[in-house]
Amino acid sequence: MLEMQIWFYTGCALVILGTIGTVIGPGVKDPIVRILNTEIPAVGVSLIFLSYNHVLALLTFIAATVIITLILLRAVVRLEEMGAEV
Amino acid sequence: MIVPEVVPAITVSLFLPALYVALIVGFIALLGISFQKKDVHALILTDIVGVAMLIIVAAVGTDLAEALILPGLVVELAEIMAISEILMSREMRKTGKKVSFMPMPIKMDMEILKTAPNFLSLVLIVYGIFLTGFTGGAVAGVGILFYALARKSRGLPFQLWEGVSGISGVAWCIWLAGFLILFVAPEIWLLGLLMSSFGILLKVASKMGLIGVLGREEFKRN
Repeated sequence: MLEMQIWFYTGCALVILGTIGTVIGPGVKDPIVRILNTEIPAVGVSLIFLSYNHVLALLTFIAATVIITLILLRAVVRLEEMGAEV
Repeated sequence: MIVPEVVPAITVSLFLPALYVALIVGFIALLGISFQKKDVHALILTDIVGVAMLIIVAAVGTDLAEALILPGLVVELAEIMAISEILMSREMRKTGKKVSFMPMPIKMDMEILKTAPNFLSLVLIVYGIFLTGFTGGAVAGVGILFYALARKSRGLPFQLWEGVSGISGVAWCIWLAGFLILFVAPEIWLLGLLMSSFGILLKVASKMGLIGVLGREEFKRN
């Protein structure tokens, strides 16, 4: 039986590592790589919600993360189609 | 002790670690934004700042936290949507180029998009109304969104979008009135509860109004 704290601290570690990876990780000059890196803190926050039993918040957060990723990808693709520096 | 008795001990013991993690994450993300020259990258890092905000709210660890996370998520979503739209329209004005409204990697003229939307969106909307509250609003909103996207939201008349935005405002008022009833006249709490749950249902379902406003701007441009 795993203790509940394991999930909490795994989530914390993922959030911090993912944030550092998003800010100064390898290849983040490319906005697509940066968007994909934001998924790691998202998984960490999901684990933290899970350890606090926030079911509704967890479900809504997963849906919102998917929509935010779609919006950001759309913005990047449209800006690149216009020939802007991204 | 400030913490009430009903809060479990484990939540209290996890409060400080969560708070520190959120502060570290927020600090790193804000530092990253301040060194960023390009606007798109700053927008992506805003997402991480939102994550730090969510951890601080979640650390409270009661039903209150859950109730506060949901509007926080919706506000973050609307904010990122609005800022990305501003960035794109500014760039469009600078370069004077027109690009597709919704860039797709594949052609989306599938048979199922012509035949399925009526039935699927009806099922989603009916199930959403049955659920009521925030979750029901989200389900019904997905139904409306699916219908609009499959039917090419460009083709819909934009008086309809104005109407959807109007419904959103009225639903907000119903929600507030329901809450007022809960405090002013607690003996008719059932009416207040139903008013606020149906109000938030309409409100969340008509978040589509946001996308509708974007569509209207697109009509004006063409």
